[in-house]
Amino acid sequence: MASRELISYDTGATVKILKWVSPVFLGAYLIWALLPLFIMLMASFKDLLDAFTLPKPGQWGDVGVFFDFSPTITHYIALFAENNFGTYLFNSLVASVGSAMIAVTLGSMCAYSLSRTEFRGKKDLLFWIISTRMAPIVAVIVPLYAIFRSADLVGTLPGLILAFTTFNLPFAIWMLKGFFDGVPYAIEEAAQVDGNNRFQAFLMILPLVAPGIGAFVILCILFAWNDFLFATIIGSGGAKTLPAATKELVQPQNIDWGKIMAAGVVTTAPMIPLGLLVRRYLVAGLTMGAVKE
Amino acid sequence: MVAVSFNNVWKDYGDSVAVRDLNMNIKDGEFVSLLGPSGCGKSTSLRMLAGLEHITSGEIVFGDKVVNQLPPKDRDIAMVFENYALYPHKTIFDNIANPLKRAKISPSEITRRVNEAAKLLEIDHLLERRPQELSGGQKQRTAIGRAIVRQPQVYLFDEPIAHLDAKLRARMRSELKHMQFNLGVTTIYVTHDQLEALTMADRIAVMNDGVLQQFGTPQEIYENPVNSWVATFVGEPQMSLMEMSMTGEKGDAALDFFGNIISLDAASSSRLTKAGIADLLVGVRPDKASVSLQETPGAIKAEVYSRQLLGADVLVEVAIGKTRVRAKADTSFMGNVGEPCYLNFSSENLYYFNAEDGKVVER
Ligand SMILES: Nc1ncnc2c1ncn2[C@@H]1O[C@H](COP(=O)(O)OP(=O)(O)OP(=O)(O)O)[C@@H](O)[C@H]1O
Ligand SMILES: [Mg+2]
Repeated sequence: MASRELISYDTGATVKILKWVSPVFLGAYLIWALLPLFIMLMASFKDLLDAFTLPKPGQWGDVGVFFDFSPTITHYIALFAENNFGTYLFNSLVASVGSAMIAVTLGSMCAYSLSRTEFRGKKDLLFWIISTRMAPIVAVIVPLYAIFRSADLVGTLPGLILAFTTFNLPFAIWMLKGFFDGVPYAIEEAAQVDGNNRFQAFLMILPLVAPGIGAFVILCILFAWNDFLFATIIGSGGAKTLPAATKELVQPQNIDWGKIMAAGVVTTAPMIPLGLLVRRYLVAGLTMGAVKE
Repeated sequence: MVAVSFNNVWKDYGDSVAVRDLNMNIKDGEFVSLLGPSGCGKSTSLRMLAGLEHITSGEIVFGDKVVNQLPPKDRDIAMVFENYALYPHKTIFDNIANPLKRAKISPSEITRRVNEAAKLLEIDHLLERRPQELSGGQKQRTAIGRAIVRQPQVYLFDEPIAHLDAKLRARMRSELKHMQFNLGVTTIYVTHDQLEALTMADRIAVMNDGVLQQFGTPQEIYENPVNSWVATFVGEPQMSLMEMSMTGEKGDAALDFFGNIISLDAASSSRLTKAGIADLLVGVRPDKASVSLQETPGAIKAEVYSRQLLGADVLVEVAIGKTRVRAKADTSFMGNVGEPCYLNFSSENLYYFNAEDGKVVER
């Protein structure tokens, strides 16, 4: 059976140059990606004066002042004590995990049936499902707001979960359908012959699409967690999430940079391990070799 | 252990017909082989028995129960799939044990049965691995294992040993046959290898193009094929067919083969005159035809076309005009390609078919 070890071949000059260029490029990209996060993290531990102590442009020798401060966690304490960030963190968590769970449950069943059955108009149905994601959120937010308000869902967590789900579900169906398509139906046939009914056979192949489902759940959570529009419009008031709450730290008379930076850290930190997880889940190829092609 | 019947079963895929009006009664405990060329509808028939394929029309009956509407799990069958269909995320042990777990059998009994099956199939050292770490033949044996750990009403095998090496295949043939005989489980075994069918089956169902051609014991099929297609499909090396026409009056009827007159024995003569068919396809099996470089009385002049060593003897293909005839000769036959030679056979060993529709001439 084919193994997945890398084979190296003799290569020409271009490839050798690329071998040099790519680390340089990756290094530059890394700095570009990580620097803002780094500055945010540092600033969240500085008081206002230290935060704006910066070296003059071009004075690379003075970079040290950037690190010259006495760390303080007052911003963090203030966030949770004065600004209720505990509640907002909870709201963010419930809304994003809740919508991801609903989207994955409904989405996997829908994706499974679309993957396993043929019927007239299937292609149109699939297109219709994805077309609901083609319009930008701003384009639908006004009618959606009207609907949600007449259903008394504005400013409630269930309302926010529903709003996130309407946008995550089409995405779930398309993504998971791809994963189910990759699992040969023969495996379910074997499961049925082994004494399972159709639903049990579906459950038997779930481990095979588990990487896909895992990756998808995380992407859904990320989407909902970072969402701003729904959070401010549908969730405003009773179901404020972290990004919406952070926005309110910007007051006309006073922009509280320290708290904003701390809020940024609080919002970003839980998502980093999830990002790392997604990478692990997206390693596909589990079905390799079980069915003769 | 149940009798299985197909009653007027059809299977269409859109416009194309995969199985055409199949009628077959398989007895309780019988080992039946479905034999036919690629694409003739063998797997489709088997999958309809398993409940994996919708039946376009007709009935499939287990015992006295019509099973058309019964899902696979309620049919009490075990099946080896043509494409193995193993569970990629389970170890070989769990793959084989899976049907037993469903049946709520005690863990110690499961372990015992899995190990027994694995030993028989020579995969007992692989039980901890996963399917992608196995060779094709090992996977195929795992698929057999998953079927034979159970004792269902019916075994369905779809080319279960097609990817094993010759030696292992010979062993598995006898192991499967032995097991089936001991358990007495009704077995339907799909193959395109006639040797498997001839050696294992109680009865063979020969299919071509979605149509059941003949259903009978290996001997019946070999000795009394119902048409020229079955005659040439079964038997290795293949039977040769020659176009001949009847000549002569009643009493001294003979066959005319491009000017060569072949005299007939009494039985053949009366059979052919009774049927009164002018144009015939006449078959001869290679081991009933002889070829020599010396002219012998009644022999047909031909030319050596090719010569293949079979081991103990040689298969000589000779050409008479456009017709080719295969004959076995012993290794001392030294004719080279293009050399003139003489073909001989006796009319008692010939097979007679109507040239028009290929049907056998009635006895
Ligand atoms: N899902 C399908 N859709 C359309 N046609 C199909 C489908 N499955 C099988 N067929 C057709 O039905 C016919 C019979 O197929 P089947 O798989 O039964 O052949 P087989 O006898 O098992 O051949 P092989 O020895 O190659 O396995 C073939 O002509 C095939 O092309
Ligand atoms: Mg087949």
